[in-house]
Amino acid sequence: MTAYISPFCMPFLEMRKMKRTGFCQAFLGGGALAALVPVVNMALRAETFTSQPGSPFQILMEANWQLMAQLNIFLLVCGACLLYHTEYADNGLQKARSLPLGSSGLFLGKLGILLSAGLIPLCLETASLTLCCMRWFPDRPGESLRILTGMAFAFAMLLPTGAAMLLLSSMCRNMWISLGAGVILVFFASMLPASSSSVSDVLALVPFCGPYRMLHELPGREAALWTVCLCLGESVLLCAAERVYQSIRRCFA
Amino acid sequence: MSANIIETENLTKSYGNFTAVSNLSLHIKKGSVYGFLGPNGAGKSTTMKMLLGLTKPSSGSFHINGRTYPKDRLAILRDMGSFIEAPAFYGNLTGEENLEILRRILQLPKSAVEDALEIVGLTEHRKRLAKKYSLGMKQRLGLAGALLGHPPILILDEPTNGLDPIGIHEIRTLVRSLPEKYDCTVLVSSHLLPEVELMADDFGILNHGRLLFEGTMAALKRTADAAGLPTHDLEETFLAMIDIDNRNRGERR
Repeated sequence: MTAYISPFCMPFLEMRKMKRTGFCQAFLGGGALAALVPVVNMALRAETFTSQPGSPFQILMEANWQLMAQLNIFLLVCGACLLYHTEYADNGLQKARSLPLGSSGLFLGKLGILLSAGLIPLCLETASLTLCCMRWFPDRPGESLRILTGMAFAFAMLLPTGAAMLLLSSMCRNMWISLGAGVILVFFASMLPASSSSVSDVLALVPFCGPYRMLHELPGREAALWTVCLCLGESVLLCAAERVYQSIRRCFA
Repeated sequence: MSANIIETENLTKSYGNFTAVSNLSLHIKKGSVYGFLGPNGAGKSTTMKMLLGLTKPSSGSFHINGRTYPKDRLAILRDMGSFIEAPAFYGNLTGEENLEILRRILQLPKSAVEDALEIVGLTEHRKRLAKKYSLGMKQRLGLAGALLGHPPILILDEPTNGLDPIGIHEIRTLVRSLPEKYDCTVLVSSHLLPEVELMADDFGILNHGRLLFEGTMAALKRTADAAGLPTHDLEETFLAMIDIDNRNRGERR
């Protein structure tokens, strides 16, 4: 019987390709930078925040998340570009496409790596926010669960952005084009208005805009679940779009 | 069952108004070395890309080892080792790591990497980064990737490009020995016509996407003789055939 590599092994295989590219270091460094944002903010302006009533996690998120989310998205953009740059730089992608792999195996493997790497900054940020709560809000305990659910929601919001950026990177042989487009999208998304709730509800589903959304902004648990489900659905659609793109590309290659 | 391991039927590839390959019907015998000749832009690489599923045929079909494309795409790719146009590798990995990735995808035993490195003479340089290899070494690495696991079919597009005379001789001897050593069929294209003459059992001559001749050297000589073309060496015969076809094309226009 002919054996084929399991799709679940693809992320591990893709990880091997990222040796000496600085991929993990970039996520660790970028994550550490994002995690420093609330710490520095609290260290410099502690009174501004400690005097506010309510949940410390929400206070910290309101004060820092815009910048932290932007850094998270920027890391996904760089990561996606790096993942496909290694394929295009020395024509490795052509060899990969002539191997007995499912047509989406490569993309899904890379998506697995990108999203796993996206967990690195989120974990560092979770640790940083927990430390901030413990250090500056000792009189308001019991934030751990809120932080964990908030960051899990943030991860779900990153999924469509990761898939969209990877799709863009897979289309561009020249890394600078996908990186440039990604950076423009990051800054464009950060400038979109999110004041009215109906607008922000829609924007939460748009890749590059979603990660700015915070769990406590949503009206209830049901709305949060719907948003997460829609993000998952959107990510699946983006993966399907990559498959369609591959079929079209094969016609013109 | 047919003695041909690769058969194409009216294989055609068009890009808009331009036809790169036109109604190509190849018949490649199992266990033979098939030399694919043609000037630049004749459609050799496009044909090879179609056989590897890298580009989709506009019309026509092909069967490889009793399997039909695209229904059995993965099984077809599993049976083929390939080297198309230029060496394809990951520059950030060593030669050995590059082959290790291919080995894992193909689910081959660990010894396959050492074996392939040994065959192409790269054992000594296996720990060096592939991007630091000379052109000849990159070419050998590409060949090692194609030979990994001794696939029953090898598709080699100008495998001696960039090699020094000793390297050319080694690769020629290697290609010539493959059918006997590993019960393998080789489709090899080259611009070095005397080179192909020394390697191949059968020849296919392509010009502007059309197959001008297919058969053994003896059959080529008979055909050329009947047409009043020079027969003392393959290069002269080949150039005369191409010249006549180009003139006929001009008249048809």
